[in-house]
Amino acid sequence: MQSMPENRIVQVENLELKVPIFKPNDRHLLKNPMGFLSDLYFTHAKRRMVKILDNISFNLDMGQRLGVIGPNGAGKSTLLRTLAGIYAPTSGSVNIRGSVKGLFDITLGMNQEATGLENIYLRCLQMGLKLNEITSLITDIVNFSELEESIDNPFHTYSSGMRMRLAFAISTMVKPDLLLMDEWIGAGDANFRDKVKSRMDALVSNSRGLVLATHNTGLMKSLCTHGIVLSKGRNMFFGEIDEALDFYQQGRASGIII
Amino acid sequence: MKYQYWIYATWLNFVVRYRKTLLGPLWLMVGPILFILTIGMLYSRINQADSNQFVPHLAIGIIIWTLIVGFVAGSTTIFQRYRSQIMQGELQLMDITMVGVFTTVLQFLHQVIIILIVLLYYKIPINAYTIVSFLGLALLIINGVWLSIVFGIIGARYHDLNEVIQAIMRIAFLATPIVWLPGGAGYGGVMGKFLMYNPFYHYMELIRAPLLQTPISPLSWYVVLTFTVVGCSLAYLFKAKFSRVLALWV
Repeated sequence: MQSMPENRIVQVENLELKVPIFKPNDRHLLKNPMGFLSDLYFTHAKRRMVKILDNISFNLDMGQRLGVIGPNGAGKSTLLRTLAGIYAPTSGSVNIRGSVKGLFDITLGMNQEATGLENIYLRCLQMGLKLNEITSLITDIVNFSELEESIDNPFHTYSSGMRMRLAFAISTMVKPDLLLMDEWIGAGDANFRDKVKSRMDALVSNSRGLVLATHNTGLMKSLCTHGIVLSKGRNMFFGEIDEALDFYQQGRASGIII
Repeated sequence: MKYQYWIYATWLNFVVRYRKTLLGPLWLMVGPILFILTIGMLYSRINQADSNQFVPHLAIGIIIWTLIVGFVAGSTTIFQRYRSQIMQGELQLMDITMVGVFTTVLQFLHQVIIILIVLLYYKIPINAYTIVSFLGLALLIINGVWLSIVFGIIGARYHDLNEVIQAIMRIAFLATPIVWLPGGAGYGGVMGKFLMYNPFYHYMELIRAPLLQTPISPLSWYVVLTFTVVGCSLAYLFKAKFSRVLALWV
């Protein structure tokens, strides 16, 4: 690990990430019905490397919370995944002090056939908790998710709301130093939404740092202190959140950011 | 290293799979028992082999083969199957590997009961030499670990590997003495000439020969030990070099 100032949480230097993309041949099947056959047997998808993140640098100090701003496909989720350590930089460096937790696709990775309770154990062990720690968390998770006796039913029998509530209750049990979020989580009925909000607020105020990608400008203004503007994987702007949002709006209007 | 996760996830794989069945994991024994009874009766006539010799050879052979296939065939798609866990950033390559290996071993442990029944039924002695079999088994399981890492990574990058392995394993089953007996001194029959080039045969011998009280050729030790050392080093290199780009491939 490179030397980082005492109070620094995230240090990203010249980050570049190339990702392999399989691009099948584009073909309009009505114009070319034989495309079905030729795609299956003769032509193969071409693998090529695409630069998703290009020369990104920024620092985040203790108490600073970063909003990732950019249009769809700008590389916001990819940047979060790189910070989470899921993707390794092709070049450049990412240094993070302390533990990181990303809240991405939280309902994925559940065992569909297992019961809610079994999924609590499975997911908590996956997140690195120990069995005795989990046992003390069970009541809290079950109460929070309001699943009651449904907790003993298989996960695939749950409604989408129940899945979301359980996944949320489990994923927010660990308290990381740096919290990464791809879109703010705020699903569920009105009653649950309040609980989610207070849990999220607690999580944000307890973590030493936050990186949030969202299209909700109001939310970003209230939560984040700094903003980074991405366009096609490039770092267009990094600075105070209000300036970053202004830059983004002007950039969109003038067509610099596409 | 999430040891508790390895055990729990393995257990859950099993529980979930057999929860809705009447026999549960005992189904794992039904397949091999039917196979052994049918092939045992059929082939001991065709081959005119002594069933006292042929049936234990067949029974132990098919069960160890199932373990080998579990390791080899399961390894090529393992990381694709855990894609969503990898993308959440919670599981390391080693966690996924160990759950895969443990699940295969747990399946095998259910079938070991058949081996015990066969040994008792044919009154094959159990003595100090039998213990060597456990050494062979331990080596095979270690090989299952490196195989899962190496083949898992190659299989994630080149999905062709799974198809290649499927094709090879079918031939390898026939090339390995399971439904047929090798001739004198361990090498004989039609396939006998090629037997020593078949790595599966050597792995099989280290586990089966001590149970059947037949000698193990030193060549089998050399081959298996070499494969283990080379394989583990390869897995170490692969893990260091590719584990961080794996998320891009799956």
